[in-house]
Amino acid sequence: MAEDKVDELLQKLQKYFSHITASEIMNKNVITLTSERTLWQAKELMKIRKISGIPVVNDQRKLIGIISIEDIIMALEKNYIKEPIGDHMTKRVVSFSPDEPLESIVSKFERYHFGRFPVVDKNKRILGVISKKDIIRAILERFRLIYVHDERRSQILEKEAEWFDKSLITGDYVKKSDADFVFQINYTNVDLAGAGAAKLKSFLTKKGIGETLVRRVAIATYEAEVNVVIHSESEGAIYCWIEKTCIKVRVEDHGRGIENIEQAMKEGYSTATDHIRELGFGAGMGLPNIRRYSDQMVVMSEVGKGVVVEMIFCERG
Amino acid sequence: MLLSELINKCGFDVVTANDLNKEIKDGYVGDLLSDVMGNAPAESIWLTVQSHVNILAVATITGVKAILLCNGLSYEEETIEKAKENGITLLATEKSSFKACMSLFEAGLR
Repeated sequence: MAEDKVDELLQKLQKYFSHITASEIMNKNVITLTSERTLWQAKELMKIRKISGIPVVNDQRKLIGIISIEDIIMALEKNYIKEPIGDHMTKRVVSFSPDEPLESIVSKFERYHFGRFPVVDKNKRILGVISKKDIIRAILERFRLIYVHDERRSQILEKEAEWFDKSLITGDYVKKSDADFVFQINYTNVDLAGAGAAKLKSFLTKKGIGETLVRRVAIATYEAEVNVVIHSESEGAIYCWIEKTCIKVRVEDHGRGIENIEQAMKEGYSTATDHIRELGFGAGMGLPNIRRYSDQMVVMSEVGKGVVVEMIFCERG
Repeated sequence: MLLSELINKCGFDVVTANDLNKEIKDGYVGDLLSDVMGNAPAESIWLTVQSHVNILAVATITGVKAILLCNGLSYEEETIEKAKENGITLLATEKSSFKACMSLFEAGLR
Protein backbone atom coordinates (compact mmCIF):
# COMPACT_ATOMS: atom_id res chain seq x y z
CA MET A 1 0.00 0.00 0.00
CA ALA A 2 1.36 3.41 -0.95
CA GLU A 3 2.49 5.58 1.91
CA ASP A 4 -0.07 8.35 1.32
CA LYS A 5 -2.88 5.80 1.10
CA VAL A 6 -1.90 4.54 4.55
CA ASP A 7 -1.97 8.07 5.89
CA GLU A 8 -5.35 8.68 4.35
CA LEU A 9 -6.71 5.48 5.86
CA LEU A 10 -5.34 6.39 9.27
CA GLN A 11 -6.94 9.81 9.02
CA LYS A 12 -10.32 8.25 8.37
CA LEU A 13 -10.05 5.56 11.00
CA GLN A 14 -8.70 7.66 13.83
CA LYS A 15 -12.03 9.46 14.25
CA TYR A 16 -13.64 6.23 15.37
CA PHE A 17 -10.86 5.27 17.69
CA SER A 18 -9.85 8.59 19.21
CA HIS A 19 -9.95 7.13 22.73
CA ILE A 20 -7.06 4.75 22.05
CA THR A 21 -3.78 5.83 23.64
CA ALA A 22 -0.13 5.13 22.94
CA SER A 23 0.12 2.55 25.73
CA GLU A 24 -2.60 0.46 24.08
CA ILE A 25 -1.07 0.65 20.63
CA MET A 26 2.60 0.25 21.36
CA ASN A 27 4.55 -2.89 20.72
CA LYS A 28 6.07 -3.78 24.08
CA ASN A 29 8.65 -6.13 22.60
CA VAL A 30 11.07 -3.34 21.88
CA ILE A 31 14.32 -4.12 20.22
CA THR A 32 16.88 -1.71 21.66
CA LEU A 33 20.62 -1.26 21.48
CA THR A 34 23.10 0.33 23.83
CA SER A 35 25.33 3.12 22.57
CA GLU A 36 28.59 1.13 22.59
CA ARG A 37 27.24 -1.28 19.95
CA THR A 38 28.44 -0.58 16.43
CA LEU A 39 26.48 0.82 13.52
CA TRP A 40 27.25 -2.44 11.76
CA GLN A 41 25.38 -4.37 14.45
CA ALA A 42 22.45 -1.96 14.14
CA LYS A 43 22.42 -2.53 10.39
CA GLU A 44 22.35 -6.32 10.81
CA LEU A 45 19.52 -6.10 13.32
CA MET A 46 17.52 -3.82 11.01
CA LYS A 47 18.06 -6.16 8.09
CA ILE A 48 17.01 -9.25 9.96
CA ARG A 49 14.06 -7.75 11.82
CA LYS A 50 13.02 -5.63 8.83
CA ILE A 51 12.83 -2.44 10.84
CA SER A 52 13.91 1.05 9.93
CA GLY A 53 14.97 2.41 13.30
CA ILE A 54 16.19 1.20 16.69
CA PRO A 55 15.95 3.15 19.98
CA VAL A 56 19.22 3.50 21.86
CA VAL A 57 19.09 3.16 25.66
CA ASN A 58 21.50 3.40 28.58
CA ASP A 59 21.88 0.74 31.26
CA GLN A 60 18.75 1.94 33.05
CA ARG A 61 16.79 1.49 29.83
CA LYS A 62 16.45 5.25 29.52
CA LEU A 63 16.09 6.51 25.98
CA ILE A 64 19.20 8.42 24.89
CA GLY A 65 18.84 8.39 21.12
CA ILE A 66 17.62 6.62 18.03
CA ILE A 67 19.45 5.11 15.11
CA SER A 68 17.70 5.10 11.77
CA ILE A 69 18.28 3.57 8.38
CA GLU A 70 19.35 7.02 7.13
CA ASP A 71 22.13 7.05 9.72
CA ILE A 72 23.24 3.65 8.45
CA ILE A 73 23.29 4.79 4.82
CA MET A 74 25.36 7.81 5.84
CA ALA A 75 27.76 5.56 7.78
CA LEU A 76 28.21 3.31 4.76
CA GLU A 77 28.85 6.26 2.47
CA LYS A 78 31.33 7.91 4.80
CA ASN A 79 32.88 4.64 5.90
CA TYR A 80 32.37 4.66 9.66
CA ILE A 81 30.00 1.68 9.91
CA LYS A 82 32.30 -0.08 12.42
CA GLU A 83 32.06 2.82 14.89
CA PRO A 84 29.84 2.88 18.00
CA ILE A 85 26.23 4.00 17.64
CA GLY A 86 26.62 6.57 20.42
CA ASP A 87 28.80 8.81 18.25
CA HIS A 88 26.35 8.98 15.37
CA MET A 89 22.83 8.49 16.67
CA THR A 90 20.12 11.15 16.60
CA LYS A 91 20.00 12.44 20.15
CA ARG A 92 16.91 14.61 19.94
CA VAL A 93 14.23 11.97 19.76
CA VAL A 94 10.55 12.69 19.29
CA SER A 95 8.68 10.32 21.57
CA PHE A 96 5.17 9.66 22.85
CA SER A 97 3.92 9.57 26.40
CA PRO A 98 1.88 6.49 27.33
CA ASP A 99 -1.37 8.46 27.47
CA GLU A 100 -0.85 10.29 24.19
CA PRO A 101 -4.12 10.03 22.22
CA LEU A 102 -4.33 8.50 18.74
CA GLU A 103 -5.02 11.84 17.09
CA SER A 104 -1.79 13.34 18.33
CA ILE A 105 0.13 10.16 17.43
CA VAL A 106 -1.09 10.26 13.84
CA SER A 107 -0.30 13.95 13.51
CA LYS A 108 3.28 13.36 14.70
CA PHE A 109 3.70 10.63 12.11
CA GLU A 110 2.65 13.13 9.47
CA ARG A 111 4.77 15.95 10.75
CA TYR A 112 8.06 14.10 11.22
CA HIS A 113 7.88 11.29 8.65
CA PHE A 114 9.70 8.85 10.92
CA GLY A 115 8.95 5.15 10.60
CA ARG A 116 8.59 4.58 14.32
CA PHE A 117 8.40 6.46 17.58
CA PRO A 118 9.40 5.29 21.04
CA VAL A 119 6.97 5.51 23.95
CA VAL A 120 8.62 6.64 27.20
CA ASP A 121 7.48 7.23 30.78
CA LYS A 122 8.13 10.39 32.80
CA ASN A 123 11.68 9.28 33.55
CA LYS A 124 12.45 8.71 29.87
CA ARG A 125 12.42 4.97 30.40
CA ILE A 126 11.37 3.13 27.25
CA LEU A 127 8.02 1.33 27.41
CA GLY A 128 7.38 0.46 23.79
CA VAL A 129 7.57 1.47 20.21
CA ILE A 130 4.89 2.48 17.69
CA SER A 131 5.03 2.09 13.93
CA LYS A 132 2.14 2.63 11.52
CA LYS A 133 1.73 -1.12 11.44
CA ASP A 134 1.11 -1.12 15.20
CA ILE A 135 -1.60 1.52 14.83
CA ILE A 136 -3.36 -0.48 12.16
CA ARG A 137 -3.05 -3.64 14.23
CA ALA A 138 -4.55 -1.90 17.27
CA ILE A 139 -7.43 -0.63 15.20
CA LEU A 140 -8.06 -4.02 13.62
CA GLU A 141 -8.04 -5.62 17.04
CA ARG A 142 -10.72 -3.18 18.14
CA PHE A 143 -12.80 -4.21 15.18
CA ARG A 144 -12.41 -7.84 16.11
CA LEU A 145 -13.31 -7.24 19.73
CA ILE A 146 -16.43 -5.48 18.62
CA TYR A 147 -17.59 -8.31 16.39
CA VAL A 148 -16.58 -11.38 18.35
CA HIS A 149 -19.38 -12.74 20.57
CA ASP A 150 -18.78 -12.78 24.28
CA GLU A 151 -19.23 -16.53 24.51
CA ARG A 152 -16.57 -17.23 21.92
CA ARG A 153 -14.16 -14.86 23.54
CA SER A 154 -14.44 -16.48 26.94
CA GLN A 155 -13.87 -19.89 25.34
CA ILE A 156 -10.69 -18.68 23.74
CA LEU A 157 -9.51 -17.20 26.98
CA GLU A 158 -10.17 -20.39 28.90
CA LYS A 159 -8.32 -22.36 26.29
CA GLU A 160 -5.38 -20.06 26.57
CA ALA A 161 -5.13 -20.58 30.32
CA GLU A 162 -5.21 -24.30 29.76
CA TRP A 163 -2.40 -24.37 27.22
CA PHE A 164 0.14 -22.78 29.40
CA ASP A 165 -0.38 -25.09 32.36
CA LYS A 166 -1.22 -28.47 30.91
CA SER A 167 0.73 -30.97 28.91
CA LEU A 168 -0.70 -30.98 25.42
CA ILE A 169 0.12 -34.64 24.93
CA THR A 170 -0.68 -36.32 28.24
CA GLY A 171 -3.07 -33.75 29.69
CA ASP A 172 -1.14 -33.70 32.97
CA TYR A 173 -0.29 -30.47 34.64
CA VAL A 174 3.31 -29.62 33.92
CA LYS A 175 5.40 -27.96 36.55
CA LYS A 176 7.87 -25.79 34.75
CA SER A 177 9.76 -25.24 37.98
CA ASP A 178 10.53 -28.99 37.98
CA ALA A 179 12.12 -28.94 34.55
CA ASP A 180 15.60 -30.45 34.33
CA PHE A 181 16.64 -27.85 31.77
CA VAL A 182 15.35 -24.35 31.13
CA PHE A 183 16.50 -21.88 28.50
CA GLN A 184 15.12 -18.41 27.81
CA ILE A 185 15.09 -17.67 24.10
CA ASN A 186 16.49 -14.31 23.02
CA TYR A 187 14.30 -13.38 20.08
CA THR A 188 16.06 -10.10 19.34
CA ASN A 189 19.23 -11.69 18.07
CA VAL A 190 18.96 -14.04 15.11
CA ASP A 191 22.65 -14.86 15.49
CA LEU A 192 21.83 -16.65 18.72
CA ALA A 193 19.16 -18.86 17.15
CA GLY A 194 20.04 -22.41 18.06
CA ALA A 195 22.00 -21.53 21.19
CA GLY A 196 19.36 -23.16 23.38
CA ALA A 197 19.31 -26.38 21.37
CA ALA A 198 23.11 -26.54 21.44
CA LYS A 199 23.08 -26.08 25.24
CA LEU A 200 20.41 -28.75 25.58
CA LYS A 201 22.50 -31.09 23.47
CA SER A 202 25.54 -30.78 25.71
CA PHE A 203 23.36 -30.96 28.83
CA LEU A 204 21.78 -34.26 27.73
CA THR A 205 25.14 -35.66 26.61
CA LYS A 206 26.56 -34.94 30.07
CA LYS A 207 23.58 -36.73 31.60
CA GLY A 208 24.64 -39.84 29.72
CA ILE A 209 21.76 -39.97 27.24
CA GLY A 210 22.57 -41.92 24.05
CA GLU A 211 24.05 -40.03 21.13
CA THR A 212 21.31 -40.74 18.59
CA LEU A 213 18.55 -39.79 20.98
CA VAL A 214 20.35 -36.57 21.93
CA ARG A 215 20.79 -35.69 18.27
CA ARG A 216 17.07 -36.13 17.58
CA VAL A 217 16.10 -34.02 20.58
CA ALA A 218 18.59 -31.30 19.60
CA ILE A 219 17.45 -31.10 15.98
CA ALA A 220 13.75 -30.89 16.84
CA THR A 221 14.41 -28.38 19.62
CA TYR A 222 16.54 -26.28 17.26
CA GLU A 223 13.65 -26.02 14.82
CA ALA A 224 11.19 -25.00 17.52
CA GLU A 225 13.67 -22.47 18.88
CA VAL A 226 14.35 -20.95 15.45
CA ASN A 227 10.60 -20.59 14.92
CA VAL A 228 10.38 -18.52 18.08
CA VAL A 229 13.24 -16.27 16.97
CA ILE A 230 12.06 -15.80 13.39
CA HIS A 231 8.31 -15.77 13.65
CA SER A 232 7.01 -15.04 17.12
CA GLU A 233 8.36 -11.55 17.83
CA SER A 234 8.16 -12.48 21.47
CA GLU A 235 10.33 -14.10 24.03
CA GLY A 236 10.05 -17.79 24.58
CA ALA A 237 11.44 -20.63 26.61
CA ILE A 238 12.65 -24.19 26.24
CA TYR A 239 11.84 -26.69 28.98
CA CYS A 240 13.14 -30.21 29.10
CA TRP A 241 12.27 -33.05 31.43
CA ILE A 242 14.27 -36.26 31.52
CA GLU A 243 11.86 -39.03 32.39
CA LYS A 244 12.41 -42.74 32.94
CA THR A 245 11.40 -43.87 29.48
CA CYS A 246 11.53 -40.71 27.46
CA ILE A 247 12.61 -37.10 27.11
CA LYS A 248 9.98 -34.41 27.01
CA VAL A 249 10.62 -30.97 25.54
CA ARG A 250 8.30 -28.02 25.48
CA VAL A 251 9.04 -24.80 23.60
CA GLU A 252 6.66 -21.92 24.05
CA ASP A 253 6.28 -18.29 23.18
CA HIS A 254 3.61 -15.64 23.61
CA GLY A 255 3.95 -14.06 20.21
CA ARG A 256 2.17 -13.85 16.92
CA GLY A 257 0.98 -17.42 16.70
CA ILE A 258 0.34 -19.58 13.65
CA GLU A 259 -2.63 -18.84 11.46
CA ASN A 260 -2.94 -22.22 9.81
CA ILE A 261 -1.17 -25.08 11.55
CA GLU A 262 -2.14 -27.59 8.88
CA GLN A 263 -0.37 -25.51 6.26
CA ALA A 264 2.62 -24.90 8.53
CA MET A 265 3.05 -28.66 8.91
CA LYS A 266 3.52 -29.06 5.15
CA GLU A 267 7.07 -29.24 3.88
CA GLY A 268 8.15 -26.14 2.04
CA TYR A 269 5.46 -23.87 3.46
CA SER A 270 6.85 -20.80 5.18
CA THR A 271 5.85 -17.25 5.94
CA ALA A 272 9.46 -16.12 6.42
CA THR A 273 10.53 -12.85 4.84
CA ASP A 274 13.11 -12.65 2.04
CA HIS A 275 15.73 -11.37 4.46
CA ILE A 276 15.31 -14.40 6.65
CA ARG A 277 15.34 -16.71 3.63
CA GLU A 278 18.63 -15.24 2.45
CA LEU A 279 20.13 -16.40 5.73
CA GLY A 280 19.03 -19.91 4.88
CA PHE A 281 16.05 -20.00 7.22
CA GLY A 282 12.43 -20.24 6.20
CA ALA A 283 12.77 -23.42 4.19
CA GLY A 284 9.41 -24.53 5.49
CA MET A 285 10.96 -27.60 7.08
CA GLY A 286 10.74 -26.62 10.74
CA LEU A 287 7.59 -28.36 11.90
CA PRO A 288 8.06 -31.26 9.43
CA ASN A 289 11.56 -31.82 10.88
CA ILE A 290 10.13 -31.82 14.39
CA ARG A 291 7.55 -34.41 13.42
CA ARG A 292 10.20 -36.52 11.79
CA TYR A 293 12.59 -36.56 14.75
CA SER A 294 10.12 -36.80 17.63
CA ASP A 295 7.95 -39.75 18.60
CA GLN A 296 5.02 -37.59 19.56
CA MET A 297 4.44 -33.94 18.95
CA VAL A 298 1.64 -31.49 19.48
CA VAL A 299 1.55 -27.91 18.29
CA MET A 300 -1.03 -25.58 19.68
CA SER A 301 -1.41 -22.02 18.58
CA GLU A 302 -3.74 -19.21 17.93
CA VAL A 303 -3.05 -15.95 16.19
CA GLY A 304 -1.78 -13.40 18.66
CA LYS A 305 -1.58 -15.88 21.51
CA GLY A 306 1.66 -17.65 20.87
CA VAL A 307 2.73 -21.17 20.10
CA VAL A 308 3.36 -24.18 22.30
CA VAL A 309 5.22 -27.12 20.85
CA GLU A 310 5.48 -30.23 22.94
CA MET A 311 7.63 -33.15 21.89
CA ILE A 312 8.31 -36.57 23.34
CA PHE A 313 11.35 -38.62 22.38
CA CYS A 314 11.88 -42.25 23.27
CA GLU A 315 14.88 -44.48 22.73
CA ARG A 316 14.19 -46.25 19.45
CA GLY A 317 15.03 -49.96 19.42
CA MET B 1 38.88 -40.67 5.50
CA LEU B 2 40.89 -38.23 7.58
CA LEU B 3 39.97 -34.58 7.19
CA SER B 4 43.64 -33.62 6.64
CA GLU B 5 43.86 -36.12 3.80
CA LEU B 6 40.76 -34.70 2.09
CA ILE B 7 42.10 -31.16 2.39
CA ASN B 8 45.45 -32.13 0.86
CA LYS B 9 43.94 -34.03 -2.02
CA CYS B 10 41.28 -31.40 -2.85
CA GLY B 11 43.33 -28.27 -2.15
CA PHE B 12 40.72 -26.53 -0.02
CA ASP B 13 41.78 -23.46 1.98
CA VAL B 14 41.79 -23.92 5.73
CA VAL B 15 40.23 -20.88 7.40
CA THR B 16 40.28 -22.22 10.92
CA ALA B 17 41.35 -25.69 11.83
CA ASN B 18 40.25 -27.71 14.77
CA ASP B 19 41.43 -31.31 14.82
CA LEU B 20 42.34 -32.27 11.26
CA ASN B 21 42.79 -35.88 12.29
CA LYS B 22 39.04 -36.32 12.52
CA GLU B 23 37.49 -39.04 10.45
CA ILE B 24 35.07 -37.78 7.77
CA LYS B 25 32.60 -40.47 6.83
CA ASP B 26 30.05 -38.66 4.73
CA GLY B 27 29.06 -35.35 3.20
CA TYR B 28 26.10 -33.11 2.56
CA VAL B 29 25.32 -30.15 0.30
CA GLY B 30 22.71 -27.57 1.25
CA ASP B 31 22.00 -23.91 1.85
CA LEU B 32 18.67 -24.19 3.63
CA LEU B 33 19.50 -24.64 7.28
CA SER B 34 16.48 -26.77 8.13
CA ASP B 35 17.19 -29.05 5.20
CA VAL B 36 20.74 -29.54 6.41
CA MET B 37 19.50 -29.92 9.96
CA GLY B 38 17.12 -32.65 8.93
CA ASN B 39 19.38 -34.53 6.55
CA ALA B 40 23.09 -33.98 7.14
CA PRO B 41 24.74 -37.09 8.57
CA ALA B 42 26.98 -36.79 11.64
CA GLU B 43 30.76 -36.89 11.06
CA SER B 44 30.36 -35.32 7.67
CA ILE B 45 31.67 -32.40 5.64
CA TRP B 46 29.01 -29.82 4.73
CA LEU B 47 29.22 -27.85 1.48
CA THR B 48 27.31 -24.57 1.45
CA VAL B 49 27.24 -20.93 0.40
CA GLN B 50 25.94 -19.76 3.78
CA SER B 51 28.63 -17.99 5.78
CA HIS B 52 26.88 -16.34 8.71
CA VAL B 53 27.16 -17.47 12.29
CA ASN B 54 24.04 -19.65 12.36
CA ILE B 55 25.81 -22.36 10.35
CA LEU B 56 27.77 -23.17 13.50
CA ALA B 57 24.61 -24.00 15.42
CA VAL B 58 23.62 -26.33 12.60
CA ALA B 59 27.04 -27.99 12.50
CA THR B 60 27.20 -28.36 16.28
CA ILE B 61 23.77 -29.94 16.54
CA THR B 62 24.05 -32.29 13.57
CA GLY B 63 27.62 -33.29 14.36
CA VAL B 64 29.06 -31.97 11.09
CA LYS B 65 32.85 -31.81 11.56
CA ALA B 66 33.85 -29.41 8.79
CA ILE B 67 32.11 -26.74 6.73
CA LEU B 68 33.28 -26.01 3.18
CA LEU B 69 32.23 -22.60 1.89
CA CYS B 70 32.05 -22.69 -1.90
CA ASN B 71 32.11 -20.21 -4.80
CA GLY B 72 35.02 -18.19 -3.38
CA LEU B 73 32.87 -16.65 -0.64
CA SER B 74 34.35 -15.63 2.68
CA TYR B 75 33.20 -16.20 6.24
CA GLU B 76 32.03 -13.45 8.52
CA GLU B 77 34.43 -12.62 11.34
CA GLU B 78 31.94 -13.75 13.99
CA THR B 79 31.52 -17.10 12.28
CA ILE B 80 35.25 -17.77 12.45
CA GLU B 81 35.40 -16.91 16.14
CA LYS B 82 32.42 -19.09 16.93
CA ALA B 83 33.92 -21.98 14.96
CA LYS B 84 37.06 -21.85 17.10
CA GLU B 85 34.88 -21.95 20.22
CA ASN B 86 32.88 -24.90 18.98
CA GLY B 87 35.72 -26.91 17.50
CA ILE B 88 34.39 -26.89 13.95
CA THR B 89 36.85 -26.72 11.05
CA LEU B 90 36.08 -24.05 8.44
CA LEU B 91 37.26 -24.56 4.86
CA ALA B 92 36.83 -22.49 1.73
CA THR B 93 37.17 -23.02 -2.00
CA GLU B 94 36.76 -21.15 -5.27
CA LYS B 95 34.90 -24.14 -6.66
CA SER B 96 31.14 -24.44 -6.84
CA SER B 97 29.43 -26.95 -4.58
CA PHE B 98 29.11 -29.29 -7.56
CA LYS B 99 32.78 -29.12 -8.55
CA ALA B 100 33.83 -29.43 -4.91
CA CYS B 101 31.72 -32.60 -4.61
CA MET B 102 33.54 -34.02 -7.60
CA SER B 103 36.89 -33.28 -5.95
CA LEU B 104 35.74 -35.02 -2.78
CA PHE B 105 34.61 -38.01 -4.81
CA GLU B 106 37.92 -38.17 -6.64
CA ALA B 107 39.72 -37.96 -3.31
CA GLY B 108 37.90 -41.10 -2.30
CA LEU B 109 35.03 -39.90 -0.12
CA ARG B 110 31.97 -42.04 -0.84
